[in-house]
Amino acid sequence: MPGSLFQIGRSGAAAARASLEVTSQNIANASNPDYARRTLSSRELVGISASGNGVLNGVRIEGITRFDSAIVQQQARQSASELARADTELAALRDTELALEQSSLFEGLVEFEAVLTQLEGNPLEPALRTNALETGRQLASTFQFANSTLATARGQVQASTAISLDEANLQAAELARINQNLANARDGTAGQAALLDARDAALRALSQEVGIETEFDSRGAVTVRLADASGAAGPLLVDGLTSSDITSTTAPDGTVSFAVGGAAVTPARGALAGQAAALDAQADYQIELDAIAAEIIALSNAAQASGADADGNPGQPFFTGTGAADIELALTSGTQLATAPAGSPAGSTNTTNLASFVASIGGDDGPIARTDTLLLGLSSRISAQEVTRTGLAAIAENAQATLLTETGVDLDTEAANLIRLQQAFEANSRVMQVATEIFDTLLGLR
Amino acid sequence: MSFVSNATGAFYERSLIQMSDLRDSLERLQTQIATGVRLSRGSEDPAAASRLRTLARTERLSEVQEDNADKLARDLDEAGDEAQGVANLLARARELAIQAANDTTGESGRAAIAEEIALLEEELFDRANAQTLTGEPLFAGTAAGPAFVREADGSVTYNGNSEIPTVPVAPGTELERGVTGAQLFQFDVGGTPTSAFAVLSTLSAALQPGVADPTAAAQAALEGIDAAIDTTTRNQTVLGTRLAWVGVIQDDQLDRSLTVAEQQSDLGDTDLSDAIVRLQQTQVALEASQASFTRVSNLTLFNAL
Repeated sequence: MPGSLFQIGRSGAAAARASLEVTSQNIANASNPDYARRTLSSRELVGISASGNGVLNGVRIEGITRFDSAIVQQQARQSASELARADTELAALRDTELALEQSSLFEGLVEFEAVLTQLEGNPLEPALRTNALETGRQLASTFQFANSTLATARGQVQASTAISLDEANLQAAELARINQNLANARDGTAGQAALLDARDAALRALSQEVGIETEFDSRGAVTVRLADASGAAGPLLVDGLTSSDITSTTAPDGTVSFAVGGAAVTPARGALAGQAAALDAQADYQIELDAIAAEIIALSNAAQASGADADGNPGQPFFTGTGAADIELALTSGTQLATAPAGSPAGSTNTTNLASFVASIGGDDGPIARTDTLLLGLSSRISAQEVTRTGLAAIAENAQATLLTETGVDLDTEAANLIRLQQAFEANSRVMQVATEIFDTLLGLR
Repeated sequence: MSFVSNATGAFYERSLIQMSDLRDSLERLQTQIATGVRLSRGSEDPAAASRLRTLARTERLSEVQEDNADKLARDLDEAGDEAQGVANLLARARELAIQAANDTTGESGRAAIAEEIALLEEELFDRANAQTLTGEPLFAGTAAGPAFVREADGSVTYNGNSEIPTVPVAPGTELERGVTGAQLFQFDVGGTPTSAFAVLSTLSAALQPGVADPTAAAQAALEGIDAAIDTTTRNQTVLGTRLAWVGVIQDDQLDRSLTVAEQQSDLGDTDLSDAIVRLQQTQVALEASQASFTRVSNLTLFNAL
């Protein structure tokens, strides 16, 4: 039957053409990270004739198949989420390190110790006394500077927490919308494949911000739970067509806590988890910084109280304030430095009181040692965190590569497909040509 | 359809990560070479950074302690000079006393001797009240000074105290700045406390014309002058020993600051030859991976179409 032959050729050519279009689409999206490669699935078309025998009718396009692997996607998301947590925490801790190191608190304390030691060598020299006093003033402002740089670092983390939160809520709402569209999409259509791409992209963006657990239904719609650090099932973030907002509360010490629909949650992964951990750490460092400032204030004022100044008067408090934020120099003149023990007459060169003050500053658990411990603790933590981050980055890269291998576009394969499909198209047109020739032959019979 | 594919995106991603890693380490090495500093932040090597902080503190304190030691050496030197002056002066007083004890010296001669001894006593008083370059009394202990005051009746009393100021010159080492006036000028003669001033002024008074038995008085004064000379010599030795000690400590300080500088350099400075070789190596690796990236990325079927 030339008509049937023509029909077979036409359907084959159409299928080859459609496949070529899919291949071109794959090539066009080769560098789109959210795109999963597609193929066109087709099926033999067999008609039933009146006699009950099968009639060959060519090929039928069945639909677009999108390569997908839920497990690999899940692994890639989770590892990227872990990496985002480590990255965020590391960046915030580095800011903190910069704040505390660049404030030169340690150097300021050492300088204070040094000028006091120098004063011991020549306790009545007015220049040295003034120098000691001004170094004390400098130390107070160094504490304030360290305090404000730490506050700036904390402010930056808090600002990025707000951004992450907005982004997470936005993606959750987007997922609820995608769920709705997926419910209406026809199976095997390009539209459905595009929606699934959008769904995976949104899940990926969401898991960058906060760790999630996902479940998919037969239509591809997703149910998202927050992953809680305790391992217990977290609250629902996206359930069918509805999404809930994550809310945050900032405590007076700068730490932040999260809740979904009133249920408290501690994010296990993602930028939000990193930011929360960094804020906790910064609150600890703030406490320690204030404690060191308070110790300097207490030691200086106690030393002043137990001594006599250059005029033989009882020593007055060195600093006012209670912490790094409000430490201020209280003395107004170098003469007021109580270098001599209490009860000494004016002009005494006895430096016993000063010597014990210097010893208390430089002692094994004095403010200088504590500052060193603070900096050492912070830099060790960062150093350890960097090792963890390197490991997580390797895992995340691996998972990403696996995902790309599974779902990404291989240009060589697509190029081969182009040639194959082009040949298929040409072969099918040849079939149509043969059908035409046969028909012509039949018509030409005399 | 194959299930194992070599996704193009994966290839580019891998290459990108590898090359940016290499670039990162190149830049780090370049910074190390340019700044000469191995650690730009503490977290690069927390232990070394903490050690560097301790060393920086040691360095700063050493500077101050060196200053203190210099000042102490000057003070001790000056105290030593004054003590030497006192010793010379007492030796002259002894000569004069011997001369006065001689019966052949006439009354007018003794009067002249009395005059000179009175002047020597004045000079002794001045030397006892000598000050350091920065204006503090050398021999008043920790008191504000002056070290000795002359009372209305002409006698001299010690105004200072018995505390000797100490100066920190090395970690854990505090040296005494000198000797007190009491140590240098006051002593016992025959169980009775007296002072060089009292010995000289008594002698001077005894040699005035009209005083009975000046020879015996001069003889008696010799014992006091000898005791004064003994005391002075002993204190000169103390001052000399302290000065020598300061010298030793200054040598130590020099050694220590060299060691500190060496350790700082070991811990914190870029090892140039090492860094340059590594830079070269990393550069070769980066160039090679860039070249192979270009070649591999050119290997696409599309070139054959």
